[in-house]
Amino acid sequence: MTDVAGRIVVSGLTKRFGRVTAVQELSFTAEPGCVTGFLGPNGAGKTTTLRMLVGLVAADAGVATIGGSRYAASPAPGRVAGVVLEAAGFYPGRSGRDHLRVYCTASGYPLGRADEVLELTGLTEAGRRRVRGYSLGMRQRLALATALLGDPSVLILDEPANGLDPEGIAWLRNLLRDYAGRGRTVLFSSHTLPEVEQLAERVVIIASGRLVRAGPLAKFTAVQGGLERVFLSLTSSGDSPRPGGRPT
Amino acid sequence: MTQLVATEFRKLLTTRMWLWILLISAAWTIMYTSLVIALANRHGGLVPSLSSAAGQHALFAIAAGGAGPLLAVLAVTQVAGEYRHRTAAATFLATPHRQRVVAAEVIAFLLVGVGYALACIAINLAVALPWLSAKGIEVSAFGNGNLAVLVAVVISVAVFGMTGAGLGAALHSQLATVTGMLLYLYVLEPLISHIAPLHSWTPYLPGVAADGLTQAVQSGVRLLSPWAGGLVFAAWAIAFAVAGMISTSRTDIT
Repeated sequence: MTDVAGRIVVSGLTKRFGRVTAVQELSFTAEPGCVTGFLGPNGAGKTTTLRMLVGLVAADAGVATIGGSRYAASPAPGRVAGVVLEAAGFYPGRSGRDHLRVYCTASGYPLGRADEVLELTGLTEAGRRRVRGYSLGMRQRLALATALLGDPSVLILDEPANGLDPEGIAWLRNLLRDYAGRGRTVLFSSHTLPEVEQLAERVVIIASGRLVRAGPLAKFTAVQGGLERVFLSLTSSGDSPRPGGRPT
Repeated sequence: MTQLVATEFRKLLTTRMWLWILLISAAWTIMYTSLVIALANRHGGLVPSLSSAAGQHALFAIAAGGAGPLLAVLAVTQVAGEYRHRTAAATFLATPHRQRVVAAEVIAFLLVGVGYALACIAINLAVALPWLSAKGIEVSAFGNGNLAVLVAVVISVAVFGMTGAGLGAALHSQLATVTGMLLYLYVLEPLISHIAPLHSWTPYLPGVAADGLTQAVQSGVRLLSPWAGGLVFAAWAIAFAVAGMISTSRTDIT
């Protein structure tokens, strides 16, 4: 049952912004009990793919499901997947704790859940301060706390290590490993190789919106030169990534 | 839906903006009420004699004049602020059914409007009744058709709240929507509604219809009856809400 509940299936996803095709017929899966790294150069379409997966961006073609159904069609989406988006937004004048309590109310969780996830993410003390004064790392933790509110069976994270110091990255690694160890699915995107090598067990590599390779991390690191060599040879030959940084 | 309306209230009450807007509305009500009474029966007074029903109606309609547009600004700020502060993603992750979110925002600001209107009415009466009594003018909030005016004030402010929420959801840009709305209400609409040849349709404009609802008298402007004005203003608010639902459900949250 658990392997159906948390399985992410991306099938033929395509998204165009005007004339630019951000994602093109992309298909891959992420399995429960495993941390999957979603790797690609800046502008490869990672963010757009993750946003399509949870219904924030409408796909032009293809379908993405979590546990067999679309995220947006779930009656309790917060229990299906927790999502940490890159540069997540907070109202600067609201405290971290109040931010969490807003989304407790929206999803029908008891308000006490806000304090539990603050504790889980090490923000108990900072929770009563306004988000305006938070560091980038604290904002990342608050975004993660928001994702954990529903104790979801899937965690989806867009560049989660951005802004974290080495200690924070170690903490994140333990949290994600622990999450997957309990039979849940973790899918995170990154454009930096050491992060993926430290965190992931499986790797999905995309470039210019298309899948270039997927498989266990060990398969890539076994090659001479490791993941870096594989990544560079796969993503820089021929179809070079578009300039312009992260996708919109 | 109750859950989603409660969420909007929690968003509102966990920041201070609502309090500032309420204080400004209260200050506006005190100032304008005082001005009307101080200048009453003088040459150049703002309203007809306060002994007359028309004068009293104008006095009691004051509570809507400040609170309504200010509440609309607050509603735009909160609803469009979700895009400015990038909280829209978290909101639509918690509730993927976006049209229900917009409906909850519109209902929440309708209810906030009732609260703001009652507060401003209380202030309006607290200033006006003792002052008029001291001047020897006996006025009742309930007699002389005054109660109907107070009810119209509550409806007007509530519909202004709905309007702001709908516009914010339709346009997503906080600054542009607030600026556009205020320019329309205080510059464009007064200009148009004073042009006599256009009087066959100007009473149906949103702000003029709102004036019809409370019978906020301005010389040279044609108003609808309170009932017709209220219905037309509410129809505008519902149209903005529907536009907000359509726009919000079609937007990619990037």
